[in-house]
Amino acid sequence: MEPSHIRNFSIIAHIDHGKSTLADRLLELTGTVELRKFTGHSQLLDTMDLEQEKGVTIKASAVQMNWTAPDGGTYELNLIDTPGHVDFGYEVSRALAACEGAVLVVDATQGIEAQTLANLYMALENDLEIIPVINKIDLVTADVPRVMREIRDLLGVPESDIIAVSAKDGTNVAAVLEAVVARVPPPSATQVDAPLQALVFDSHYDSYKGVIAYVRVYQGRVSRDTELLMMATRAKTEPVEVGVFRPEMVPIAGLSAGEVGYIATGFKSVREARVGDTVTDAKRPATEALAGYQPAKPMVFASLYPSESDDYENLRDALSKLQLNDAALTYEPESSQALQFGFRCGFLGLFHMEIAQERLEREYLQDLVVTAPSVAYQVLLTDGAEVEIHRPADLPDPALISEVREPWMKVQVITPTEYMGALMEIFRRKRASLMLTETLDPQRVLLTFETPLAEMVIDLHDRIKSATRGFASMDYAFLEYRVDDLVKVDVLVNQEPVDALAIIVHRDQTYDKGSALIRKMKEAIPRQLFEVPIQAAVGGKIVARVNVKALRKDVLAKCYGGDVTRKRKLLEKQKAGKKRMKQLGSVMIPQEAFLAILRIDED
Amino acid sequence: MTKYTQGHPSSQVGLYVHVPFCVQRCTYCDFNTYTGLLSLEDEYVAAIVQEARLRAERAISARARTLYFGGGTPSLLALEDLESLVEAVRREFRLPWGAEVTLEANPGTLSPSYLDGLREAGVTRLSLGVQSSHSAELLLLGRIHTWRDAVGSYEAARSAGFDNISLDLMYGLPGQTLEQWQETVCRCLDLRPDHLSLYALTLEPGTPLAETLAMGDVPAPDPDLSADMYEAASELLHGACFWQYEISNWARGSSPAPEIWALPPGGETEAISPAVSAHNLIYWRNEPWVGLGAGAHSWFRGRRWSNLPHPQAYISAIWDGHLHGYSDTPLLQTTLDGELMMMGLRLAEGVSDARFHEASGHHLHELYGHVIDRFAEYDLLEWNGERVRLTRRGRLLGNLVFQEFLLPEE
Repeated sequence: MEPSHIRNFSIIAHIDHGKSTLADRLLELTGTVELRKFTGHSQLLDTMDLEQEKGVTIKASAVQMNWTAPDGGTYELNLIDTPGHVDFGYEVSRALAACEGAVLVVDATQGIEAQTLANLYMALENDLEIIPVINKIDLVTADVPRVMREIRDLLGVPESDIIAVSAKDGTNVAAVLEAVVARVPPPSATQVDAPLQALVFDSHYDSYKGVIAYVRVYQGRVSRDTELLMMATRAKTEPVEVGVFRPEMVPIAGLSAGEVGYIATGFKSVREARVGDTVTDAKRPATEALAGYQPAKPMVFASLYPSESDDYENLRDALSKLQLNDAALTYEPESSQALQFGFRCGFLGLFHMEIAQERLEREYLQDLVVTAPSVAYQVLLTDGAEVEIHRPADLPDPALISEVREPWMKVQVITPTEYMGALMEIFRRKRASLMLTETLDPQRVLLTFETPLAEMVIDLHDRIKSATRGFASMDYAFLEYRVDDLVKVDVLVNQEPVDALAIIVHRDQTYDKGSALIRKMKEAIPRQLFEVPIQAAVGGKIVARVNVKALRKDVLAKCYGGDVTRKRKLLEKQKAGKKRMKQLGSVMIPQEAFLAILRIDED
Repeated sequence: MTKYTQGHPSSQVGLYVHVPFCVQRCTYCDFNTYTGLLSLEDEYVAAIVQEARLRAERAISARARTLYFGGGTPSLLALEDLESLVEAVRREFRLPWGAEVTLEANPGTLSPSYLDGLREAGVTRLSLGVQSSHSAELLLLGRIHTWRDAVGSYEAARSAGFDNISLDLMYGLPGQTLEQWQETVCRCLDLRPDHLSLYALTLEPGTPLAETLAMGDVPAPDPDLSADMYEAASELLHGACFWQYEISNWARGSSPAPEIWALPPGGETEAISPAVSAHNLIYWRNEPWVGLGAGAHSWFRGRRWSNLPHPQAYISAIWDGHLHGYSDTPLLQTTLDGELMMMGLRLAEGVSDARFHEASGHHLHELYGHVIDRFAEYDLLEWNGERVRLTRRGRLLGNLVFQEFLLPEE
């Protein structure tokens, strides 16, 4: 296709504002997918099991549509999907980098939300042409004039540039396609003769064809005969296939500058074709890679242990399979005196962790004990060396530490004004600073906070949702590492420190967090044969203590002839329950106790 | 290799007769009992007489050492029915004259003439379900009698000549204070009974009392307070010449016990006094017993079975000649070994290696050496090479100990 007739664009929206429904309508309108293929709620761009409960089996996040515009010209429209989760901000930025334009969808009943803004800013950073669309105008609660004004003020565009549609019933959807053709610029700098440069903006693992890299070609041409070099990972391969998604994979002769499609690389792990990497011709490489590559860097860590220690090998197997399709997931074996053998896993963020955990449980049928999440700390030692630690127990002796840095995030919350006070209180307890308050309309404000990631990983999202009865929306992005006065709180159960329970907190919080943590532990640990002290300690000094009182009486009052079998079974069941607990010295600890940290802010 | 047990070699059995009828169900009761079925009494008694005959035919050599009428409310039976039941057991199972014959009775159901009749029928021991001396507690438990009724029945039984009377009491009741409990114990001691059974309230799921508690209308009992009540009663009973011989049972001795939870003289519970329940001792030592009547369980020659629970179904089954209602199953030796410990450790005499070896074919230290050592360290068990028994502290924590002799549920 002539580059002048190619349009590469994506749709950006806050969750539930109708991105997928609009995409479905566009596929239908362009005849890419027949109407009858849309069954029930299926939305073609969401293909992962967890997003769509096994609707469609391929992951097609870059669909090619051919459309004859009212001017009579035939256009190749490439719709590039962006990951919906905030933890995949980097992946979103790479997907947007593959486009020249973005359709910004805003719900006519909700208005602009936090994710709308985050995605919009990212699109603007990539110099994309923005086509604002108001969706759901068919709903009785739609307030089109208000949302028009919000968008006008936000983007500084005339209201006549804003397209009001109902993706659900198809109203005015064609106008969106017309605007894409008319307003989104065609790909520029499209030298077909130059050395190959193609951006990997997504990938998935296919058990027949190996890793499928989703690419946007910037210059040159790639075909099945091109020997490929990944410029960041230095991996080389001969492709199995080159093609486009319509939305199923259709092999074609090759992809040229300006075009979007896929390369079946034959790689065995997505780690070899990372998002953001540049694909070039191994025999005639480009002199430099496309800008903006960053290897995925996990920032949230948690330990995964099998519920039954016999299942360790199964878990290892499941993690290795999961990693084939998830370049950002890291794991390494670890052992803990209480939980025995498991893995310390790194995730991009909390949502990423939840998705990975759920996939392990649902797709790989793993029964897991997951410890409370922690973040990656940078520690500068007195000898000048710098180490990164992924679990609190690894924080070195304070005497060896020169400084400790922790990741900070920028958090944006859009909330009805009535919940502002409640939100400020939540963030105050999270060591956050309010940086900016902007009024969106008389009822809603945009609050910008800065807060340590460690404070967010516990329960920030849930607390915001419950404090605002679900009306607030939140988005966040990594800001920087900052030095603070951070110390490790050890938890001692019956005088023994328990590595899996250590936490790192600000020095000012040691008493509050330490005593809250051990109080929650006390609730979770059943009474034992002897009194069990639970202590919180900083640098060997006890800062708080509670006792789990000794169990005094546990005996069946009656046991006569007719009761023998029933009472025996009762005791056998009690014993089986105990077997599922983890033994620490002579103390039995139920698995829930290891998650006490998640509940320390409940009171 | 799967090894099924042969069971206890003895053909001497404890004979149990279940009487499932009640005037009113107690709020905590989950036993096999029924109200409004007393019209079945004649048929039911005839069926038991028939069952006795059929079982005796099949277990030719079985002889009854003791007879126990449990319920339900056995004292609701007409005297002639009781007489024919005792008579049937004497005939079919050769119950000797003078053997222990116990009847569970509810205060308020016993007239002097009925008591005389019981004596004539051969009942030697009465177990009175007194439960409490406080009317609010009796009401909560759904009992139909008052404390005054209990005292009246007790005294009438003494007048009728009963010299072996046991009282059942309950503690750990919702809202019950330590003082109220001590008062009940002292009032009962003042009556000078021969035997006491003190039971902690067990909330069985589905009973009205458990549901009342779940609704939050009544405060849940505090397990620590229950422990205090147990220890307080132990002290009071020790001071009144009672020997504790089982987790919930005390018998008055001829001389005071040397300490609370003392090993009985010579290590034999019977040596404490004739007030010890010979019948219940059979259960705790896992010796054979045969149960007659609806839902009754039996354990004889390595097999365990139970009858159909509903009286009407039971009656039909007996007249059809179906003796095995439910669960006629052989028992794995490993299961039996665990049960021997679970039951035997309830006794102050504990489990002697000689008795265990006779039933199991193994010595205690072969099977359980490490478990015993560990619990000895925790002061829950004591072991002298001949005998293992719970310590005074261990008798409150029996479940933790018993479990370790059992296999976890698969």
